[in-house]
Amino acid sequence: MTGYALPDLQEIDERCRVIAIEELGFDVPDVVYHLVRPEEVYFAAANGLPARYSSSRWGAQFDQEYGRYQTGRGRIYELIFNTRPVHAYLMDGNSLVAQTLVIAHCLGHGWVFEHNRWLGAVDRDIMPRVLSAAERIADYMGAHGRDRVEDFLDACHAVAIHQPQAQLIAKSAAPEPEHRPGRFDMLFPEEVAADRARVAEERAALRRRFPRDPEPDLLGFIEHHARGLEDWQRDVISIVHSEQSYFLPQMRTKLLNEGAAVLCHQEICQRLFLPADRYWEYEQLNSGVVQPHAGQVNPYNLGINLLREIMRIATEPDDEERERWSWAGAEDPFDRVRTVLASYDDEALLREFLTPKVCERSRLYAFERVQQDPSRIRVSSRECDAIRDVLIPQHATFGIPYVEIVDADFRGRGELLLEHRHEGIGLDSEYACGTLAEMATLWGKPCTVATVAGKDGAERVWFTGHPDGRSERHDSVPA
Amino acid sequence: MAVVGDSGLPHDAGRRDALHHRQRLRRKITEQLKERIGEEDIIAAGPEKKLRIPVKGTKRWQFILDRGKGKGVGQGDGEPGDVLGPPGGKSSPGEAGTEPGEEMYEVWLDMEDVEELLFAELELPRLKPKAQADAEAADTIFNDIARTGPQIDKKATLRENLLRNAKRGQVRIGGIDKPDLRYLSYRELPKPRHKAVIILAMDVSGSMDAGRKRMARLFFYWCVQFLRRRYDQTEIVFVAHTTEAREVTEQEFFGRTESGGTRVSSAFEVAEGMLKVRYPPADWNVYVLHVSDGDNFTADNRRTLELIRRLTGVCSLVGYLEVRPQARGGSHKLSAYYEKEAGGLDGFVHATADDEKALWPALRRFFASDRVEEVVR
Repeated sequence: MTGYALPDLQEIDERCRVIAIEELGFDVPDVVYHLVRPEEVYFAAANGLPARYSSSRWGAQFDQEYGRYQTGRGRIYELIFNTRPVHAYLMDGNSLVAQTLVIAHCLGHGWVFEHNRWLGAVDRDIMPRVLSAAERIADYMGAHGRDRVEDFLDACHAVAIHQPQAQLIAKSAAPEPEHRPGRFDMLFPEEVAADRARVAEERAALRRRFPRDPEPDLLGFIEHHARGLEDWQRDVISIVHSEQSYFLPQMRTKLLNEGAAVLCHQEICQRLFLPADRYWEYEQLNSGVVQPHAGQVNPYNLGINLLREIMRIATEPDDEERERWSWAGAEDPFDRVRTVLASYDDEALLREFLTPKVCERSRLYAFERVQQDPSRIRVSSRECDAIRDVLIPQHATFGIPYVEIVDADFRGRGELLLEHRHEGIGLDSEYACGTLAEMATLWGKPCTVATVAGKDGAERVWFTGHPDGRSERHDSVPA
Repeated sequence: MAVVGDSGLPHDAGRRDALHHRQRLRRKITEQLKERIGEEDIIAAGPEKKLRIPVKGTKRWQFILDRGKGKGVGQGDGEPGDVLGPPGGKSSPGEAGTEPGEEMYEVWLDMEDVEELLFAELELPRLKPKAQADAEAADTIFNDIARTGPQIDKKATLRENLLRNAKRGQVRIGGIDKPDLRYLSYRELPKPRHKAVIILAMDVSGSMDAGRKRMARLFFYWCVQFLRRRYDQTEIVFVAHTTEAREVTEQEFFGRTESGGTRVSSAFEVAEGMLKVRYPPADWNVYVLHVSDGDNFTADNRRTLELIRRLTGVCSLVGYLEVRPQARGGSHKLSAYYEKEAGGLDGFVHATADDEKALWPALRRFFASDRVEEVVR
C-alpha cells in the first residue's frame, strides 16, 4: 500500500547512520523504531511516555489530537522517547520519504539525548518505573474508585511542574544569625546582653519557621509533610512527582533538541542523493517542519537557525565575531555545534547566539497583548534586544511562574502560604484560584498565594483555595 | 538498529482512556446540572431550546501569569504597531507554555438530555405490581427455541450439531443439516402494570412568600418532569391548600397565589378522600408529596400526623418538604414536629431545603431507588 516494508526502513536507518557517523561526526546511539498505526502514535504522544498509567487525562489529550489528525488539521510525523535504548515511533502510512526524514531526524534527537549534560540528569531507565507505577495506579483505581484516583491525579498535576529546575545547583541554607564576641564586650554589658537576646530571638523565630527556607518543590513538600494522606495517595504523589522530573530537562533543551534533529535530517537527506521527485517531496516536508508560526515561536525553526548561525560563525565570521569568539573561523562547524549541543541549555544558547541575524532569519517579533482583547496581539518591536528581553526569560522559566512555599503554618492553622516571585506580572486570578483549590485537596487545608495585580504589579493580592473547591481573593493579608 | 512493527503498547489503550474521559465528562455535567436545577434558565429553556453548559472541573489548573498582560515573541509578517489575530496554536503535551492547557468544555444540551442525565438515578420507590393489570400490557421476549421460525439461533444450532455428531462418535462441529437448525422463538409475557398516582400538595397560604413559592414550584416542576418522563402511565393529581384544600388543575397549581392561614391536615384529608373514591390502594401505588413553609396552625399538628400515619399504612410513600429560604427554622416548624413525633415512621420521608441547591438532595430522598433506601434514610 505504501510500497515499503520493515527491511526497507532498516536499510534507510543504516544508510543514515553511516552518514551521521562518518560524514557529520555524530556518533549517534541505537534507536529502536516502532512502525505503528496513527492511533498508537497519537496515544503515546498524549501520554508523554509509552505505557503510562491509564487516565482520562491522556484520553482527553488523545481525543483532541487524534481528532485533529482525523480531520486533517494536524499530523505528527515522529515521536521519540529519551529512554535507554532510545525508542521512536514511526507512523504507518507515511510515505517512504517522510519516514526517511523522520529516521534522520530521530538520529539527531538520539545524539542530544546521549550527550547533552542537562538531559544526562534524566533517569533514562525510567520505563520499568513507569510500568510499575501504571500497575499500582490501576490497583488504586480498583480499590478506591476510578473517579477518586483521577481527581487526586488532577490535583497532583496542577502543581507538579513546580520543581527545582536546575538539579545541578543546590542552594545553601540561609545562615543563622549569631552573636560575635568582641574585644570590648566587657565594657558594654547591657548592650551585649541586648544583642544576645535579639540574636536568640531571631534564631528561635528562624527555627520556628517551617520550611526554614522557601521551598520551590511544591509537590515534593506536600508528599513529605502533608498530614492525613493515605498511603496510596502519597504513592500517587511520588509517581507524578518523579515522572514530571523526567520532562523538565526536555523542556529546558527544546530548542537545542529540535535544532539538532532538523540539522541532522537536513544534512543527512542532502547526502542521500534522493532522486528528483523524492527530493522534491523531501523539500516540501522539510519546509513544512521549519516554517515560522505566527503568534508563537516554532522551535524547529528557531532551533535550526541558531545552530546554522553557530556554523556560519565557525566558518565565515565577520571581524566583530572573530573578536568575540576565539573559535570563530577556526573550527569545523559540526564540531562547534556538537560542543554547544553537549553543554548548553536553551537559555544559554539564546543568550549567546540570538543575534540580529537570527532574529531576521526567523522573522521574529516581540508582541504585547491587546488590552481589550487578550486573544489579539500587537507587534511591538522587531529589534533584537526587545526580542531577547522577552524570549530569554521565557526560556529560563519555560513560562512557568516561580512560586515557592514560604510558610507551612500560615495563620497558625497549618495552612500553606505560597509566594509568587513576580517580575511585575501577577498570577492569573482564575487559574490561581483553581490551582490552589486543587492543592488544598492534597494538603488538606486552605492554601494561599501572595502575588500582585494591576498595572506594573503595583497592588498586592492574595488568593486562597479551600479543600472543598471554594476560593477567594483578598486585598490584604488574610487574617 | 531495529525497526519493529509493534508499539509494545496495548492496542486499544487510546480508545480506553478516551472513553474514561468522556464518561468522566458526563458525570461532571450531571453533577453540575444537579446544582443548577434551581436556575430559571434551565426551566425556561423549554423543550426546543438548547442549553449551554460550561463544564467546570475540566480545566487543567496550573499557575499561569495574568492573561492579557503577557508579552511574547512570534514569527512572520507584521510591522511594529500591527495588530494580529489570535496567537495561534497550543502547547504540546508534557509541556507547559505561557498559555494554560486550555481545555474548556461546553456542551449543548436540550431538555431531553438534561432530564436523561438527571433522572437516571431517580426511581419511584416501593412500586408494587397491582392486581388490576391491563390486559394489553404485554412484552415480547425471545426466550425460547423452536424447530421452525424466521430467525435462526446460531448458538443453539451449533450446540445441536455438536450433540448430533457426538452421538455418532465424532467430537466436532460440521455437516450442519436440517435436523440441527434451531430458531429463536418468542413468547408474550404479561407485563405487570404498575399503576401509580402521585398526589402533589402545596401550601399556597399567605406565609408562603415569593421565594418559598418559587422553591416549591421548582420542586414540583422537577417532580412532574421526572414522573412524566420515566412513568408515563402515572397519574398526577394537584392539590392546593390554605386552611381548606381542593384539587386544582396543573395551570392553577403552578400559577396560583392565595392568602390566608394554614391547616395542613386539610390537604391530607383531601388525599384520603381521593383514595377512597378514585384510587383505591388495592389497585394503585399511591404517593403523596406535600410542600410547605413549615408553618401550621399548631392545634392542627396532631390531626395532621394522625392522617399521615393512616396514609403511610396504605401508601407507598408519604413525603414532606419544608422550604425555608431564609432558614429561620424554629421548634414550631412542622419539620421539627415530625422529627420529634414521627421519627422512624415507615413510609414517611421528610426533608428541608434552605436554598435551590438543596432541591436535588430532596428529590433524591423522595425518589431514591429501593436499593439505596437504607442509606438515604
